[in-house]
This record gives sequence, C-alpha cells and structure tokens, in this order.
Amino acid sequence: MSKATSSPATDASGDRAVLRTDGVTKRFGGLTAVDDVDIEIHRGEIVGLIGPNGAGKSTLFNCITGTLTPDEGRVYLQGEDVTDWPEHKIARAGLGRMFQETRIFGDMTVRKNLLLAAQEGGADVSSLMRRPDSSLLARTDELLDYVDLGGLAETRAGRMSFGQQKLLEFAMELMSEPEILLMDEPAGGINPSMLGNLIEYIRNANEEQESTIFLIEHNMDFVMDIADRIYVLAHGERIANGTPEEIQNDQRVLDAYLGRE
Amino acid sequence: MSTTEEESDGALRSILPPKQVDWFINVCDHYGWALLLVGALVGASFPVLGLEGGYYMTVLTEMYLFAILALSWDIVGGQTGYPSFGNMAFFGIGAYATAILTKDFALAFPTAFLLAGLLAVSFAGLIGIIVLRLRGHYFAIATLGVLLVAQQVSRILDITGGSSGKILLETPTAETFYYLFLGLLVVEIGLVYYISGTRFGFVLNAIRDDEEKATAMGFNTTYYKTAAWMLAGLFTGFAGAAYSLFNTFIDPQTAYNGAWNVELIAMALLGGSGTVAGPVLGAFGLHTIIELVETYAVGWQLVLLGGAVIVTVIGFPNGVVGTLSEYASQMDYYKHGGMAATDTDDGAEVSADE
Repeated sequence: MSKATSSPATDASGDRAVLRTDGVTKRFGGLTAVDDVDIEIHRGEIVGLIGPNGAGKSTLFNCITGTLTPDEGRVYLQGEDVTDWPEHKIARAGLGRMFQETRIFGDMTVRKNLLLAAQEGGADVSSLMRRPDSSLLARTDELLDYVDLGGLAETRAGRMSFGQQKLLEFAMELMSEPEILLMDEPAGGINPSMLGNLIEYIRNANEEQESTIFLIEHNMDFVMDIADRIYVLAHGERIANGTPEEIQNDQRVLDAYLGRE
Repeated sequence: MSTTEEESDGALRSILPPKQVDWFINVCDHYGWALLLVGALVGASFPVLGLEGGYYMTVLTEMYLFAILALSWDIVGGQTGYPSFGNMAFFGIGAYATAILTKDFALAFPTAFLLAGLLAVSFAGLIGIIVLRLRGHYFAIATLGVLLVAQQVSRILDITGGSSGKILLETPTAETFYYLFLGLLVVEIGLVYYISGTRFGFVLNAIRDDEEKATAMGFNTTYYKTAAWMLAGLFTGFAGAAYSLFNTFIDPQTAYNGAWNVELIAMALLGGSGTVAGPVLGAFGLHTIIELVETYAVGWQLVLLGGAVIVTVIGFPNGVVGTLSEYASQMDYYKHGGMAATDTDDGAEVSADE
C-alpha cells in the first residue's frame, strides 16, 4: 500500500488514480455489453458499481482484470497501461479480485489457501520452492483469528460453510494486500450476521490500511452504507456517478431500475 | 452430521477410530523424512541380506519402477489435476535413448542414462507448452495422441530397429538395476514430498482446484504446469532409460505401452492421487496383486485386477490414503467450532480490532 507515492509517473497528466478506464468498450457480436465507460478510482476510496441485471457490470470487471480484452479503450492501473497484459500479470501488479460465486481452493487446507495468496518473493518456481517461513505462517494465523476462522487452519477449505469460505476469500485478499480490490457482490448469499462482520472487515481494511475497493453490489442498503461514491451502469453505459445521496435522487437511475427508458 | 450418517459410520468407527487414524497420519506426516530413510535402508538391505538376482529381485525392481511411474504421473495427474494418458511417451523416449546410445554409439550406460533423462525433459517441455493449454478430456486425448505418434515414429525409423525392436545384450547386473530403480524412487519421493510443502506445490494444487482463480491471483498457470510436467517427464524418462537395458529388449509395444499407462493411473488413483504416499503404496499394492494372480490364478489376472479396482473405487473413492486422511479429519471442522464465525460475531474479536 505504501507504493502509492513511489509509483512510476508514466502518466503525463499526473494521474493519481489507482484504477482508471478510458472509454472501455466490449462487444459480443451485435451486443455492446460495455459502452465507452470511464471510471476513475483513487487511493483509499470505496467505490460501488450498481446497475440492473445485464447492465455490463461483470463484463466491465472482466475487462479490467484482463479476463477479457476490451475492444476499445484503455485500462490504467496506477497510471500504467495494462489493457493488453495477461490476467496473471495484472493481478501481480496489484489488482485483487473476489468472485461472485465464492472461489477458494476447496481441496487444500485453509492455511495453504492463505499462503498461496501472499505475494512475497515473486512467482518464480525457484522462489516458490522454499518452505513458507515463520513470519508468513504467523500472518496466516493472525488473519484467521481476525476473520474468526482461528482453529480452522488445517481444515479442508471446501468443508467450511459458504459464509466462512467468503471470509476466507476476503482474508486471502488481506494476505496479498492488493493496490485495489475488485469485489463482485460480496454480500450475496451470506447470512445477515456474517454480512455485518464482512462490512466491519471491509471498513477496517479501508480505514486502517487505506485499501482501495471497487465493488459490484445488488444489496442497496449495503452499498449505500459502505461506498464513498457510486457508478451506475445501464445497458453498458455509465449513466450516473456520485455520492450515495446523489445516486438515490438521480432520475435516470430510478428510471433504469424501474425499467423506464 | 445427520443421524443416519452417524449410524452407518458407527460400525467402522468402533473398529477403526478416526482418532487413531488421525494420529497415525500425523505421525507419518511428522516423521516423513525418517520414514523415507527407513524405507530406503530396508529396500537397500535386501540384496545385502542375501536377495539374489532372480524372480523376487525382478518383482521388487518392477515394483520400484511402477512406483516411479505412478508418482510421476501423479505430479501432473493428481497434484495438478491434468490426467495424462501419454506419460509412457517419456518412458519410451528414455528407453530408446539408452538403447541407441549404448548399442549404436557405444556410450557408457551412466552417460547414456543421463542423456536419456535430458532428452525426455526437453521433449516434455516442448510438448507441454502445446498440450497443457488444453483441459480435462481434451488434454487426456491429446496426450494419448502424443503417445501413439511417438510409438508410430519408433516403428518407422531405422535407428530404433523398426517394429522388431532392439535386443540389448551388454547390460549391467540385476543388482545394479535394483539399486538404480530404488535410488530413483527414493529421490523422487523425497522431491515430491518436499515440493508438497512448498508454495510451488500449493500452486499445483490450486491449479487442480480452480485454475481460473489461480490465474486471477497472479499465477501464470501454464508456466507451473509445464514445470510439473517436465519434472514428471524427467523421472519417467529416467525410468525408461533404465528399463530398456534391464529388460534386455525394447520394441515400440514395450516402450510406449498404453496398457502400462492405464495401469499406472490405476495405481495412483487406488493409492490416493494428490498425496505423496498414495501412488507409491498403490503401485506396490497393485503390482503385488498382479504378481500373485499371475502366479496362482493364471488367466484370471484381468478379472481380479478389475475386481480390485471396483472395490477400491467404491470403498475408497479418494484412494486408500486420501480416503483415510479424509476419514481421520472428518471431525476437525466441528471440533474447532465450525460455527465460530456466526457464534461469536458480536463478541470480543471484532471490537478488539477497532
């Protein structure tokens, strides 16, 4: 997280955004899923991305992470053009991602899941050939205690409940300390008390470690509560950008959600 | 856990308490290196104690050979989740390499052996970059294709002796091969055991569990898959390199034996794929059964082999080792408060961090 100030100033315009998209467009055949979308997210912000089903939210995420390559437009991560980078390289550069359907490594122990997320030592086979050192192990314990999964370190991750897997996935992101974390519906499918915990963890990470978070969410109470700023997509287009209050009073947004054009 | 499950498990639990299984597995885990050393010493002591070249030495040597092949298969098939039907291609390349180098180029066996391993690895690297882009069934079929192509090439070429093969008469002693295969196996077990505790090993497992997630976490999966594949190619190639002279004869059918490829997969799966001990124990167990059947029930080999496979698949779906460790750790989740996250949600943990 401390790289913020030392990041290479490749962008002449003095771009301080952690993540910026410039006219990103993605078409599938005749359908334009994402249409000329500009987004800018600054360090320490929690930004929400909302929109009706099929608005192109997940497609936009996929264009940012490199899972899909945009047909037009550029994606900048910390001022660096990453549009044509392979997905794993973008991830290494500091982009974390939590999937909509919780994804952890089910046949591995909880601890191994966490150790894998650590970015220390790079990704060469040779550097991964060392056994994890004690400081890494200590951090896994610390993080597991933090998300209330202490004692489950040696349990097969796939055996835990869905909510616990979600917490593990979040702990994995805390372990890797990404520059920006993309979350696809973090509140989806978990029970209210665990959702309360998750909100707390996200807030803490944001306040104490200046984590930058960009999240898709359908739970309006949750997103209005947690986000500093919200982008609204409809039919692939960005129709609004503003604080939760502004968004709630925006006529275009209300129309989009009620199905009026 | 529901009552019905508890009842059906009850009988088994009283005969084989999970706690003791858990204890046993923990001990094995904890003293892994010591166990490997003891095993190596026991294996090495047989010839010293009077085991001479002949039936039993051949059987043991073949057991080591199959253990090497099954464990190599499992590096990619079990640990990484890419089931290959073409591993025997590396074996054949190794086998032909030593055969040709010692017979036609009059190289000494050790030199030929090392070169053969090198050749198998290079081949694995080249093929891996292509076939490892495929997944699941497509990968399996493509690797089978590689095996068939390699076999056909050895039939056509002159230097491989065509379909009649090569007879190799100047070979090291049976004892040399015994120690060579044993040594190879011990080194490979040690290496796989070590890797399974490193983050490289975790990446391989991660690719098996969810390759897309691994990519999203910043791992260039093709790179790790190729590395694992080359490691498997190295040991399979070495095994083949020693086998041609051990067998004193090599032809396309023996070198690129598709049936063996199926057999070694069965060994890995029965023993417990994705574990270190599983493929080795599977190879020892299955090869013993095969030998017994061939001795005492000639003609019934395949029937009994099939029976053994069916029984294991039903009784031990994750292989013997995998099923046992799953059984042993079944209660772990509940013991450590599987509900911890919901029970203590408004407790001290959260507020302590604020």
